[in-house]
Amino acid sequence: MSAKAAFLSSLLLGAAAIAPAPAHAADILLGASVQLTGPVANTGRYYKDAYEFAVDKINEKGGVKVGNEHRKLALRIYDNQSDVSLSVRQYTQLVTQDKVNLLLGPFASNFVLADSAISEKYKIPMVQGGGASDQIFSRGFKYIFGTLPAASDYFGSTIKMLSALKPKPENVALLYADDSFDVSVAKGTRPLLKEAGLKLALDERYTTNATNFNSLLSQIRNAHIDAVLVAGHETEILNFIRQAKSLSVSPKMYSFTVGVPSADFRAALGKDAEFAFGMTAWLPSASLKDEWFGNAEEFAKAYKAKFGYDPDYHAASGVADVEAIVKAIESAGTIEPQKVRDALAKVNFQSLYGTIAFGKNGQITLPQTVIQIQDGNVVAVYGQEGFIKQPKYPMPAWNSR
Amino acid sequence: MDLLIQVLINGVLLGGFYAIMALGLALVWGVLNIVNLAHGAFIMLGAYLSWYLYEYGGIDPFIGLPLNAVIMFAVGYAMQRGLLNLIVRAPMFNTLLITFGIEVVLTYLAQLVFSADFRTINPPYAGNNTTLGSVVIPDVRLFAFGAAIVLTLGMWVFLLRTKLGRAIRATAQNLVAARLYGVEPRHLYAMTFGIGIGLAGAAGALYGVTSQINPYIGASLTAKSFAISIIGGLENPLGVIVGGLALGIIESLALLYVGATFGDVATFGVLVLVLIVRPTGLLGRTA
Amino acid sequence: MKKLLPAILLALGVVILAAVPWIASDVVVQFGINSLLLAVLAQGWNIIGGYCGYPSFGNSTFFGLGCYGVAIALVQWELPFAVGLAFGVALAAAFAVLLGIPVLRLKGHYFAIATLALALAMSAIVSNVEIAGRNIGLVLPPLNNDPLFYELSLALLIAATLTVFWLTRSRFGFGLIAIRENEEGAAVMGVNTTLFKILAFTLSGVFSALAGGIYAYWITFIDPVSAFDIGLNVKMIIMAVFGGPGTILGPVLGAFLLTAVSEVLASEVTTLAGLFFGLVVVAAVVLMPRGLTDVFHQFHKAGWRYFLNNIRAHRL
Repeated sequence: MSAKAAFLSSLLLGAAAIAPAPAHAADILLGASVQLTGPVANTGRYYKDAYEFAVDKINEKGGVKVGNEHRKLALRIYDNQSDVSLSVRQYTQLVTQDKVNLLLGPFASNFVLADSAISEKYKIPMVQGGGASDQIFSRGFKYIFGTLPAASDYFGSTIKMLSALKPKPENVALLYADDSFDVSVAKGTRPLLKEAGLKLALDERYTTNATNFNSLLSQIRNAHIDAVLVAGHETEILNFIRQAKSLSVSPKMYSFTVGVPSADFRAALGKDAEFAFGMTAWLPSASLKDEWFGNAEEFAKAYKAKFGYDPDYHAASGVADVEAIVKAIESAGTIEPQKVRDALAKVNFQSLYGTIAFGKNGQITLPQTVIQIQDGNVVAVYGQEGFIKQPKYPMPAWNSR
Repeated sequence: MDLLIQVLINGVLLGGFYAIMALGLALVWGVLNIVNLAHGAFIMLGAYLSWYLYEYGGIDPFIGLPLNAVIMFAVGYAMQRGLLNLIVRAPMFNTLLITFGIEVVLTYLAQLVFSADFRTINPPYAGNNTTLGSVVIPDVRLFAFGAAIVLTLGMWVFLLRTKLGRAIRATAQNLVAARLYGVEPRHLYAMTFGIGIGLAGAAGALYGVTSQINPYIGASLTAKSFAISIIGGLENPLGVIVGGLALGIIESLALLYVGATFGDVATFGVLVLVLIVRPTGLLGRTA
Repeated sequence: MKKLLPAILLALGVVILAAVPWIASDVVVQFGINSLLLAVLAQGWNIIGGYCGYPSFGNSTFFGLGCYGVAIALVQWELPFAVGLAFGVALAAAFAVLLGIPVLRLKGHYFAIATLALALAMSAIVSNVEIAGRNIGLVLPPLNNDPLFYELSLALLIAATLTVFWLTRSRFGFGLIAIRENEEGAAVMGVNTTLFKILAFTLSGVFSALAGGIYAYWITFIDPVSAFDIGLNVKMIIMAVFGGPGTILGPVLGAFLLTAVSEVLASEVTTLAGLFFGLVVVAAVVLMPRGLTDVFHQFHKAGWRYFLNNIRAHRL
C-alpha cells in the first residue's frame, strides 16, 4: 500500500539515475534553454530561430576548423516555459547529462542572472545575447559573455539627440519597469540627463506587466512633459501607447527601450506606432560584413525568407553568439572549455552584428542608434556622428494625424 | 485639482470595465458555488475570438459582441455539461483544482493555436475620446461603463424576476426540491455557466480593444475578478458594480498618490481587509 | 513480522533515497531536490488542509517568507544559513499567528480565497520592500554543494512526515480531525478549535518556510515572482490530493509521481509539457478525487469501476 508505493518510487529515482547518457558525437554540441512557451516566448523564440539559422549556415560553409580538422556544429535546445528555475535545471541537464561542449544563453536578464551561475559552476563558457543588465556582469564571473550592450547606456544616444533637437525639450519623464534590466537602464539614464542639462520632471518606477497607465499618462499631460522615456517590456509599451491615444496624451516625443525594432509590435499598433522613437544596436545595413552571411542586409533577407518575419537585434545578437563561439574555438584550436573561454575574452572580429569584442567584465560595447517609426518603417535617425536622417519632431497631436 | 478629477474619472471608467470582467465569475460563483479559476482564460479566449472575427471576418468588435457572447455561451454550456457537471457534488474545493487544470490547458492551447505574438483589436475608433473641459474621456471605456450598468442590472432582473432566473437560483439552493418540481438541473447549471462564459467573452472583446492580447493574460485577470467579486459581495448581483468601482478608484488613486508600483498592493490589500472584516462583501448582509 | 513489513520497506526506501547523490547523476540529484522540497510543501499542506480540513491556498506565502528570510540574512546582514532559516521560520510563524486569527474564522471556500488573497498581497508588498531587493530580488552567495541540499531536503521531508505520523497518534491530531469532520461538535466536546487551527496553520507554515529557505540558497536567486509563486499553491495541493489527503504518505507519493511526470514531459515533449500537466490535473480530479492511496485501497475491490463510481457519486 502506501509504504510499498513509497519504496517503489524511490526505486524509480534510483533507476532513472542509472539510465545511460547519450553517446558522445564528433559534432560540437551547443546547448541552450530558451523561452519557447510562457509569457516571454514571444521574444524567446527569436533566439531559437537565430541559433538554428547560424548553426545551419556555418555547417553549410564547412563547419568549424578545430586544429587540422573540420567539425560540424550541433544544437540542443530546451523549452524552459518562461520559468527561471526550470531553465536552471535544464542548463544543469545540458552540462551534466547531454554533455554539451559550450553554452548559448536564454532571453532576459533575470534568466541570464540565474543561468550564468551554472556556467560558472561547471566552468563552461556561456555566450548570451539576451541579458544586458549590469548585475549580470558585476559579479566577477569569468564564464559569461554578453552581446547586448550595457543597460545603463541604452538611452545614451537618444539623450544626445534630445540636446540637439529644436526646440529642445524643456522637461523629461522617465518611466521604468521594476525588473533588473529596466532599473539598470534608469540608473544609467539619470546622470546622462543631468549632464545634458535636461530637467527630469517625472521619475516613476512601475510594476512589470502593468496594464493600467492612466494615472501616469494623466500626470504626464498635467505637467506638460515634452519628452517621455520608457524602459519596459513590449506588453506594457503596447498598453502605454494605446492608452496615450485614448487619453489624448502626446508629448513632443517618446522613446522606448523595446518594441520599436520588432515587426509584430509595429503590426499590432498599426498607424498608432508612428513617430515612436526607439534604439537598436543593430540595423540590417550592407556595411556590416560577415564571414558566413555576406553582410547584414543579405542576412536579413535570407532570415525573412526562411522564418517569415524580419529579424531584429535579438536575432542578430543570437547569431553573433554562435559566431563568437566558432571564432573562439578556431582561435584556441580546441574545444576545451577553459581554452575557449580564454579565446572568447580576446575575440575581435567583424560580423553582421558589428564588431564583436568583449570587455573585461564579459560584456560587449556597442553604440545604440536612435531609430524612429516613419511611415510604417524603422528609420535610423541619430547615430554616433549625429543626425543620419531628420526625425519627425515634434510629434503631432493624436487627433491631427 | 484637474489631475485628481481626471484620475478619478479614469478610476470610475476602469471600474465599469472591471464590473463586466467580474460579472461572469460572480454569477457562476454566487449562484452555482463554482469557483472558476479559469475565468481569466475564458476572457482571453473571448478576446482572441473577437480579434479573429475582426481580422479575418471584418466584423467590428462592438457589432460582433452579441456573436462573441453567443459563441462563448456555447463553449461554456459544453464545458459545464460535459465536464464540470461531473464534479458538482464533490467537495467544493475540487472545482478550484479542476478549473485550475482547465486554465492551464486553455492557456497552452491558445499558445499553440495563436502563438505567443501580441494581438490587438484596432478598429479606427479605438483611441477616440471626448473632452469635457480639461477632462478626457476615452469613448471605448465610456461604452464599457454603460454596458456594465446595463448588463449588471439585466443580470439582477434576470435572477430575481424572471422564471428562468428563479429556477436557476432554486436549483442551486436545493437540488432535490428542484428535481421534484421537474426542473432539469444539468441543463440549468450548463445554462448558467454558459451565461457566465458569454459575459467573459464580451469582457474579452472590450479588453482586446483597449489592451493587448496574448495567451498569458488570463491569470491576472482571474485574480482581479476575484477581488472585485468578493469586495462587492457575491450574494447581490449588483455587487460587481460596487466592487468594480471601488477597485477602479482605489487602484487609480494608489497609482497616483502612493506610487506606480502599488497598484496590486492596493487591490489585494483591500481584498484581504474585506475578507477579514466583512467577508460577505460591501453589499452582502453581515454574516 | 508482517506488521513490521511496511516499516522495513519505508526504512529501506529512506536509505536508498539518502544514497542518491552518490549513485545518481547530477541531474537526478537536482530533480530529487526539487521533488523533495515540493513533497515537504505538500506534506505541510496536508496538516492544515488534509487533517484539519481547512484548504489553504496561501502556503506559498510561508514558502516565500522562508526564501526571503534566508536571502536577507545571507545577503544584507551576512549571517549564516542556519540563522537565515530561523529568521524565515520566525517570519512565517508570526505571519501564521497574526493573520491566522482573522482568516481562520472563515469557512470553506472563503478561507481558501482569503489565503489566496494573502499570497497575492504578500507578493505585491514584497516587490516594494527595499531590503528584499524590491522586484529585482536578491542574488545569494553561491554554494556549490547539491548533495548537501539534497540531504537537507530529505531530512526536512522525513521530519515533516514524522510530524504527520505523530499527528495521527496524538490528541492534537485527533482534535484536528474532529475539527475537519464537525467543527461545532468538536468545540462542544471541549476542543479549543481556535488554538488548534492556529497551531496547525503555523506548523504547516513552518515546514513551508524551511523548504523555502533551502530552495533560496540552492537556486541562488529569488525574486517576488518565484518566491511567492501562486502556482506553487495549486501544485502542492494537487500533489497532496492526488496522493491522498489526510494520509501519512499520500502527499509524498503524489509529489514524487507528479514531479517525475512533469520533469519527463519537460525534457521529452517540451512544448506540450504544460498542456499535458493540465490534462492530468483535470483527469485526476474527475476520476480519482480522493487520491492515489484511495485508489490502491479500493481498486482490488471495485476494479476499473472504481473510477466510474467516483464520477457517479459526484456528478450532477
